[in-house]
Amino acid sequence: MATNVILARMGEVTLKGLNRGRFEAQLMNNLRYRLRSFGKVSIFQSQSRIWIEAKEEGNPYFESEESAKELMTAVTQVFGIVSVSLACKFNGDINDIDSNAAEYVKNLLESNPSYKTFKVECKRGNKKFPMNSPMICEEVGAYILEHYEGLSVDVHNPDFILHVEVREENYVYAGKMMGHRGLPVGTAGKGMLLLSGGIDSPVAGYMMASRGMPIDAVYFHSYPYTSEQAKQKVVDLAKIVSRFSGRMNLYVVDFTKIQLDMVKNSPHDMLTIVMRRVMLQIAEQIAKKNDCKCLITGESLGQVASQTLEAISITNEVVDMPILRPLIGMDKEATVRISRDIGAFETSILPFEDCCTIFVAKHPKTHPKHVDIEEAEKNLDIEAMVKQGVEENLEVIKI
Amino acid sequence: MIYFDNSATTKPCDEVVRVINEDLTGDLWGNPGSLHKLGMKSSKAYDDALADCAKVLNCSAQELIFTSCGTESANTAIQGFFKANPRLGKTVISTRTEHKCTLETLAQLEKQGYEVRYVDVLRDGKPDLDKLRSMIDDTVALLCFTHVNNESGSVLPLEQIISLKKELCPSAAVYLDCVQSLGKLPIDLKYMGVDMASFSGHKIHGIKGVGLLYIKKGIRVSPMILGGGQQDGMRSGTQSLPLAASMAVAMTEADKERKAAYERVSEINAYLREQLSARGATINSPEDGLPFVLNVAFRNFQSETMLHCLEIYDIFISTVSACSSKSKKTSYVLEAMGIDRSVSSNSVRLSFSRYNTMEEAQAFVKAIDEIYELYEVKVR
Repeated sequence: MATNVILARMGEVTLKGLNRGRFEAQLMNNLRYRLRSFGKVSIFQSQSRIWIEAKEEGNPYFESEESAKELMTAVTQVFGIVSVSLACKFNGDINDIDSNAAEYVKNLLESNPSYKTFKVECKRGNKKFPMNSPMICEEVGAYILEHYEGLSVDVHNPDFILHVEVREENYVYAGKMMGHRGLPVGTAGKGMLLLSGGIDSPVAGYMMASRGMPIDAVYFHSYPYTSEQAKQKVVDLAKIVSRFSGRMNLYVVDFTKIQLDMVKNSPHDMLTIVMRRVMLQIAEQIAKKNDCKCLITGESLGQVASQTLEAISITNEVVDMPILRPLIGMDKEATVRISRDIGAFETSILPFEDCCTIFVAKHPKTHPKHVDIEEAEKNLDIEAMVKQGVEENLEVIKI
Repeated sequence: MIYFDNSATTKPCDEVVRVINEDLTGDLWGNPGSLHKLGMKSSKAYDDALADCAKVLNCSAQELIFTSCGTESANTAIQGFFKANPRLGKTVISTRTEHKCTLETLAQLEKQGYEVRYVDVLRDGKPDLDKLRSMIDDTVALLCFTHVNNESGSVLPLEQIISLKKELCPSAAVYLDCVQSLGKLPIDLKYMGVDMASFSGHKIHGIKGVGLLYIKKGIRVSPMILGGGQQDGMRSGTQSLPLAASMAVAMTEADKERKAAYERVSEINAYLREQLSARGATINSPEDGLPFVLNVAFRNFQSETMLHCLEIYDIFISTVSACSSKSKKTSYVLEAMGIDRSVSSNSVRLSFSRYNTMEEAQAFVKAIDEIYELYEVKVR
């Protein structure tokens, strides 16, 4: 009897040398965690590829191509996976391969009626099988041609490639869903993402996670200037990022008093810079306490006043940890594309006040100098502000 | 808790809760359409409820239809009118300050080839009658207006509009949205000169899920919901006695208290106008508006920020417009009234009911003082 299984291919992981085992083990762990809500599944590795099967009969996610889509999408979201295919697995000889391949093609043509040309590719791991790969290709190709009049063979540019694999069991599959590539989350040290309600920061978090970095996030909440809805929006964005990055703690800093203090006691054209400096220091303290080795921001050079090189250098000075800015050289359109691709865009553009917008001066300084910041912070007890942010009313939300 | 958001919805009053409870737990749960004794009992109670509503509005019970809400009433009235009278013409007169349920329905008519002429409103929110005069001709089939605007509290000069209509397009019909005026202004459908009107239960201490549509005898309107022919075929679907009875009780109670409530709320409104103006706030509601609505702009506070500040004091108001610093959307009603964006982005709506007190108004002013002290931000 034929059953549906899912084949996932690994990418960069397979290029690793002596570390490869560690990377692969992490990837398998991450897959198990990501698929925990899809019923009992067995996930195993064989010859640089990963196979996912239902452990018990009746798992709805394996019943049809349509129902498998959700499961396959989840697999593509695990960093380290390059592509995913739905395969049909069965026992038997060349006659069984023919009939299962024909059935598979039938389903495929139903959902893709425009397909006109194909080719067959075969891998034969089971060397005891009486035919070799070219012979199998020829035989299966001829069988398909006989049964589907509208199809013809095109070995150079086919509409679909029908893969046949002969191992202990046999497999046929065609087509693939592309994965998000990258390295398995957990193979790098942990980072602390400064998450606002905007478009950029969730993308920055996604990008660092794609290099294997687990992520915690910090959000600066300024109730009543920012609403509960604005906070919920950030929680929702954290959930979207965590589909890719796995478990995450979201730290919500009560920022209202600190911000009011700044408005009262520092020049308004430097407000954003002072605020960024304090935010980074608070984030660094929380990061240190929670084993994070770097900070991550969604800054992009020149996008707003606080993201000029001068402003970035001045905000950079206050922390020792590396600050990773994966979007620094990216065009806004490219960021939006990723944001849409990871499903964050619609949430990011929801209209709620966020803390950066209310406390912004009409004409902020775009090229601040050292003397400016010294002057701006002269009446502020920065140390106390940071302490207050880290210690007072800090809320931790497990995502 | 101080609830100044009564134009959004109101708390169901005790009498309403009691009658719903009775209708749900006693032997009044039968289908009013059934022929047996149980059904007849519900049917009788249902007819009584309808009669009570008719009495408050001074119309005949046959002229009223229970709907699910004001929005359904507006949709049925406007769409159903043109569906039933395709030869009456394709021109509608209205304003840009109508509730969305009217504006969206009119927008759809425009897509279908109807002409909607929007008369400008003046700073007091009332339609410019000179312009209106020049817009009306005998091709007009329907006039759609709101008795009391939900954001500004502006009261429509209904008599003048009706006399303009009688003079210039006597055959046209008039639809009036009475959702905000019910229970606050006298509504006498026999003498008002309107042909269709909509009402809602939950704005007058009734419950959500029930509204009324008035269609004057002789005006033809096609139903939107087809089926078993209940309510004379105007709105099929099993009638709900608890909803109908709740509407009748809410209307009767509101009517009983109307004059006293108007006086009390007028005092609250006058007090708040004076106190808030003295604190530099801008009053957007017109002087002669309905006292139950007070639209006011607080300087240095964006609408949403003020809403959340008041929330800290357990005071609930409305921003009306979904203002966002990113999209910079402000109230379309205030915009149509010619109120500057810098004011409308700071505007909130206080809306009162007969249960509000002067003590609450005083507590509100005190809270505003504290909020200015604690949360005012002036970023230059």
